[in-house]
Amino acid sequence: MFQTDSQSKTQPFLDLLRLPLIGSLLKQRHARTLLQIPLFVISVAMILHGLFGPQLAPRNLATTLTWVHFRGALILVLLLAGNFFCLACPFMLVRNFARKFFRPNRNWPRYLRNKWLSVGLFVLMLFVYELFDLWASPWWTASLIITYFAGALVIDSVFKHATFCKFVCPIGQFNFIASTVSPLEVAVRDHDVCTRCTTKDCIRGVREPAAPLVVIQRGCELALFQPRKVGNLDCTFCLDCVQACPHDNVGIISRVPAMELATAPMIDTMRSGVGILSRRKDVAALVMVFAFGALLNAFAMVSPVYALEQSLARRLGVTIEAPVLAIVFGLFLVVEPLLLIGAAAWITKVWGRSNNSVVALAVRYSYSLVPIGFGIWLAHYSFHFLTGLFTFIPVTQAAVAELGSAVLGQPQWTLVGLPVNVVQVFEVGFIVLGLLGSLSVSYLLAASERMARVFIPWAVLSLLLASAALWVMSQPMEMRGLVLGSG
Amino acid sequence: MSYQVSPQPARVGDVTITINMKDRSERPIAGASVKLEGNMSHAGMAPVIAEAREIGPGHYQAKMKLTMAGDWDVLVLLTLPDGSEADQEFEIKNVAPV
Repeated sequence: MFQTDSQSKTQPFLDLLRLPLIGSLLKQRHARTLLQIPLFVISVAMILHGLFGPQLAPRNLATTLTWVHFRGALILVLLLAGNFFCLACPFMLVRNFARKFFRPNRNWPRYLRNKWLSVGLFVLMLFVYELFDLWASPWWTASLIITYFAGALVIDSVFKHATFCKFVCPIGQFNFIASTVSPLEVAVRDHDVCTRCTTKDCIRGVREPAAPLVVIQRGCELALFQPRKVGNLDCTFCLDCVQACPHDNVGIISRVPAMELATAPMIDTMRSGVGILSRRKDVAALVMVFAFGALLNAFAMVSPVYALEQSLARRLGVTIEAPVLAIVFGLFLVVEPLLLIGAAAWITKVWGRSNNSVVALAVRYSYSLVPIGFGIWLAHYSFHFLTGLFTFIPVTQAAVAELGSAVLGQPQWTLVGLPVNVVQVFEVGFIVLGLLGSLSVSYLLAASERMARVFIPWAVLSLLLASAALWVMSQPMEMRGLVLGSG
Repeated sequence: MSYQVSPQPARVGDVTITINMKDRSERPIAGASVKLEGNMSHAGMAPVIAEAREIGPGHYQAKMKLTMAGDWDVLVLLTLPDGSEADQEFEIKNVAPV
């Protein structure tokens, strides 16, 4: 987290790397690899089962682990800790292995060094998820996992640094935005130590003393220079900086969630590897997709969406889903957010008598939507995770039995998870938590600019999103592939 | 094997599923054990399990509680009188909300 000089030696409530067991484990040189290997093995099992196993989603490891457990565990870890799934990313294990044999020598094109491509890929991912009913298709899910592995491997084999993570990976972008509300951050312990540091190994990497061009420990591949790093944006928690720092001055430190979005000094600060957040239209667009995509993704699982799609199909006279879905996406991910954010920004300009343009204000205050977006994703994913918590057990039992082994016994198909009515209480709690977060961020942003009353339009917008999410969560869930014209 | 689901269209709640089974020479298969397992198309959902009773030679009927709207995949697990086992699947599409 950004620290002023007076705060340079503030003791954090918690530094994960200073805890007895977990700290010494994470500081091991091969800690990341040790965490990646189990996820890689599980990924391979998911791919094989997805391609060759039963094609009924609830009985397949690819669909069960991806859409129930991975997503749920990922968002809960982001809520309770930080971006630890990027730390344990199995795609990077394969990529790191490949880089032992050939080194990329190209730089990612300058015009792509922003989030616009990843905004498009994030939307595409959400679109493909609905169009091909990925949640219902083990084969497509396995193909998606293979695509991720192939994408990471190809892109990072051609282009230097962590190009795939920083500019391409939709999961990574989701984690970057979501981790701004996480309670932990990879950060400098004492800024005075950095001031006196002459080697800057956290960014340059540790060099072979006799051969300065040979890097024996990478520095940050995402161009985040620790002393000027602010917040969790673009940080994969890879811990390269921790390994590289010769002064043991980088920790995984507790902080106030979302504060990195919440004040004018924070979003107007030049962040290493990120720039000035209040000027990043591409990051704001990513936030917009993150927040409104959360609602759309949840909306797509309840009954009213089918009525809407059928109605649109009848009006258009089409029987294929893609154009109908494109219109729904256009309405919910482009028209609706632009109208609502635009209106809130315009009111901000008028009420605050601001000299900034409506677009600049929209960018600035759109960051207040991260917590409510996070709350909606959390409510949605934790619903599947908690109601299907134990389903990986019978699916694994069945997968092992298919291999001819009875070692795990007969599949216990009655093992499911928590009752829906219990989980719904959590869902409401998560949405309310997200709403409170967004209200706090927008208030602090407005107050730090001495324009407290412009908090109101952004509070109304967050309240609208929260109300819509609560309405969606109260609707009966419906799972089906859309057959247009079938009523 | 043929089947009927009632009511049509199926709605969330109890549905009655009737299974009619014949052997290759078109004779009804009596005395079989028939279990049904209904799954949603999304992973992580509880399967609904029901046992069918024989209501006439080769005709079996079960009540199944469909807990959610959408598409259901029903797996029919058969144990024939000679002890051999077989299974077959069918879909109940577009189960409507209550």
